[in-house]
Amino acid sequence: MEKTSLDLLKNEAEKEIRESGSLAELDKVFNKYLGKKGELTFVLKSLQSLSKEEKSRIGKKANETKEGLRLEFESRTKVLKEKSRKEAEQKEWIDVTAPGKKTVSGHLHPLTQAKRKVEDIFQKMGFQIVLGPEIESEWYNFDALNIPSDHPARDLWDTFYLKNGLLLRTHTSPMQVRFMEKNNPPLRIVVPGRIFRHEATDASHEMTFYQVEGLMIGKKVSVANFKAVIQEFFQRFFEKKVKIRMRPSFFPFVEPGFEVDMSCLVCKGKGCPVCSKTGWIEMMGAGMVHPNVLKAAKLIPHRKDGSGWQGFAFGVGLDRMAMMKHKVDDIRLFYSGDLRFLNQF
Amino acid sequence: MVFSYDWIQSFFRSKLPSPQKMADLFMHHSFEVEGVEKRKEGWILDIDILPNRGPDCFSHYGIAREFAAVSGLKLLKKNSKISEDRKTKASSLVSIRLENGKDCPRYAARVIRGVKVGPSPEWVKQRLEACGLRPINNIVDATNYAMLETGQPLHAFDFDKLEGKGKKEITVRRAKPGEKVLALDDQEYSLDESVLVISGPREILAIAGIKGGKASEIDGSTKDVVLEAANFNPSVINRGSKRINLKTDASIRFEHGLDPNLAEEGINRAAGLILKTAGGKVLSGLAESFPGKVFSKKISLDFSYVEDLLGTEIKSSEAKSILNGLGFKASFSKGTLEVQVPTFRRDVLLPEDVVEEIGRVYGYGKIAPLFPEAALMPPENNEDILWEDACKDALCGLGLSEVYNYSFIPEDDLETFGFKEVLELKNPMSREFRYMRPSLIPHLLDNLRENSKHSEGFDIFELGKTYTKGNPSEKRFLAAALFQKKEKETQFYRAKGIIDILLERMGVKGAWYKECGSLCKTGCFHPRKCAMIMIGREMIGSVGEISSSALDRKGVSGKAVAFEVDFEKLQKLSTKETIYQPVSKYPAAARDMAVLVPVATRVEEVLNRINAAGGDLVREVDLFDIYEGKELPEGKKNLAFHITFQASDKTLSSGEIDGLRDKITKELENDPEWQVRK
Repeated sequence: MEKTSLDLLKNEAEKEIRESGSLAELDKVFNKYLGKKGELTFVLKSLQSLSKEEKSRIGKKANETKEGLRLEFESRTKVLKEKSRKEAEQKEWIDVTAPGKKTVSGHLHPLTQAKRKVEDIFQKMGFQIVLGPEIESEWYNFDALNIPSDHPARDLWDTFYLKNGLLLRTHTSPMQVRFMEKNNPPLRIVVPGRIFRHEATDASHEMTFYQVEGLMIGKKVSVANFKAVIQEFFQRFFEKKVKIRMRPSFFPFVEPGFEVDMSCLVCKGKGCPVCSKTGWIEMMGAGMVHPNVLKAAKLIPHRKDGSGWQGFAFGVGLDRMAMMKHKVDDIRLFYSGDLRFLNQF
Repeated sequence: MVFSYDWIQSFFRSKLPSPQKMADLFMHHSFEVEGVEKRKEGWILDIDILPNRGPDCFSHYGIAREFAAVSGLKLLKKNSKISEDRKTKASSLVSIRLENGKDCPRYAARVIRGVKVGPSPEWVKQRLEACGLRPINNIVDATNYAMLETGQPLHAFDFDKLEGKGKKEITVRRAKPGEKVLALDDQEYSLDESVLVISGPREILAIAGIKGGKASEIDGSTKDVVLEAANFNPSVINRGSKRINLKTDASIRFEHGLDPNLAEEGINRAAGLILKTAGGKVLSGLAESFPGKVFSKKISLDFSYVEDLLGTEIKSSEAKSILNGLGFKASFSKGTLEVQVPTFRRDVLLPEDVVEEIGRVYGYGKIAPLFPEAALMPPENNEDILWEDACKDALCGLGLSEVYNYSFIPEDDLETFGFKEVLELKNPMSREFRYMRPSLIPHLLDNLRENSKHSEGFDIFELGKTYTKGNPSEKRFLAAALFQKKEKETQFYRAKGIIDILLERMGVKGAWYKECGSLCKTGCFHPRKCAMIMIGREMIGSVGEISSSALDRKGVSGKAVAFEVDFEKLQKLSTKETIYQPVSKYPAAARDMAVLVPVATRVEEVLNRINAAGGDLVREVDLFDIYEGKELPEGKKNLAFHITFQASDKTLSSGEIDGLRDKITKELENDPEWQVRK
């Protein structure tokens, strides 16, 4: 009798579990059978009044039934939870086209970025990066570089003088001599830094700008070597194939001296408004280090017996490089502190 | 310098290539050509003669000679002979005296008698005008014409206006202090000892190498002429021209240096032209003083050096023909190149100069790029750059944007910021840029003003040099400014948070903040809202709210907090090493505590007591709220802390944690004014 009623109860409960359509309904069914006052709970509680023999016989059966139902409830709960989750998801939505929330991000100055790139390229070619003072003496800025006073060549550099007799360096070239005084060749260095020119400012002229000086000294460092290094440098900086061209020029601290042009990035040398239809853009001054500069640094220039040193030096405008890379048409923007400009980089 | 294409053509028999092609050849081998233009006088080339080539190329003949060398065209022979009147010697009428041979290596004069002054013929006028010179009369025009053609500046005096006992006396000497001269431009120049002059017995005839004098000027009634062709010391002319602030066609040529041998060529060209256009007779010979005779130099170099320096192979025969084409005399013996340099090439002194001559005419374009052979030496890192980059990256990651400002500041800033010992420029661009910045903050405030026109709030920084009269005179500083147009709460603590992260990234430990008040060196901070940034006992910078007076003076409307750090000091303290702290395996537990303290109590005092009472078991204390309000007793503020407890060797029981909290409470309430809120 008890067995049949337990089976009936089980069948009925299983049916109700199957038919419950929501978690709330399932909960009610649970309470009906397994809750504190549930039907099966009642059966289990009533076992206490039975004889020991019956207790063990019916009790076993009742416990099996309870465990079976518990499993049924568990699996039905999973199904119903999954169902209700899906229903809820259907009601939720976000507009993916609405703009992202503004997060504050800082920006490195474009010249910092350009400087890092230049440093990286030259470091990979074995050049050491060194820095020098912005306040210089006449000796290092001019005399040691074979630029005598009272010579018209000195007028090539419009100079800011300080009241204490020193000056603001007009180029990074003084570091050639400063470095060679303390380090023996062979050597390869680049010197990035701020320089000053006493010049009226306009879209392409600044009284403050940045230059990168390069110097390579060895036993047989040549014009051909310079050409290869500089071409590689431009190609890596602009990430484009470029050609370079050297024209005779004059800087007292090099001999031979040249002006270096790069094929126009915009028209690839065909001629366009950017390069004034020449196909070329003037990039830097360079040359083979003048023996007088080596002497000023207490080094021995070329000798017939091969004991002397020779090499190349160059100076390139960082601002100009950055302007070309980012198509910036006014050099003054770099020193404007205008975040509408700076935050584009 | 401008050149007439037709004039250059006159030195060649064969037809020259087009002006454009000529410009192209010059650009590749000699000089940049700034412009090629057809004017009514014919084609004009504006050639940018390099400063070292002035001596041989500031003339049409020189440019023709250069073009012959780079084009291979043959130059016509010069003919500078003139027919002289043998009866009278010029030296019998004029005497030359040089005060100092160094100032004037050569002074030559010719005398021409019986000229008829009048306008020059059209062809002379046309060539002068083509080169931008105004025709005056046939005598003066002849001197200018000869200068443009040969490069030798010349001057003509009216013979009758010169003075002397017996002979006309010409002296080259330094001017006396305060001596004055009325020049041909009708200006009176006041001279001193730095200026060289041509003088008669009583008065100055000309400012040597720069400008002629009015007193001896050629005029319509001039009959006899003294022509001068001199050679002056380039430095003396350079200094003199700067001293009286006058640059002329003559002074430009002299200050670049000229070949003393050119004087004769120039004077003969001018004399010949005068004979042709003004008639008269040229007296025999030169009245001359020539203490600085020059001879052609010899340079010898190993030919392998030419190839080593250029990095390309060149046939010795080609090198020889290049040098000979330029007017040098080159010969080879056993691999040694012997070069005789003509006196007009004053720039060629060293073997390297010879290499340049060969290289440029050969063509740099023909040299193939070749990577250098060098020892594989990984370059050393530059610590300065490494730390600058680390610092910039940290600040950028925290949302600050980098700016670059000028190194110059205006005088106003000195007062606004109380700067002292500031470096001053001798020749500033303007008052705006008169001093060297001793701090980065003034320009950051300018940046705030400008950017606040289009932004409500932003943060900026700069890392750059500052300058003072001290030693070292330049130092790197880092400065930042945080700006809010309408400040909700002070940005001071945000600034501190930024500094803390920056220091952490640079591996600097032990930072604390010391109230500075009147000690504050940065004169733009609110005296009660600023602090010195300390590492141990060393001050490395300061942080503070910008005072309203500084904001006013800089025209900034809004609120700003700034900090400035001595980057040299910071870098010295920095370390790349990070030492791992083992993570405790045992759980951490947290308790919140609120303390009511008098308004003036420093948070640091409270923190110190919490740490002292809690000991090692207090892992972290976060201040998450500071509150002052009406609900609180008068003069009190509420500080709310979130305290994390953790042991490294066991799980703390809640009893132990409560015990710690009670201990902290007791410690805090030792001060009768403090009250832990329950």
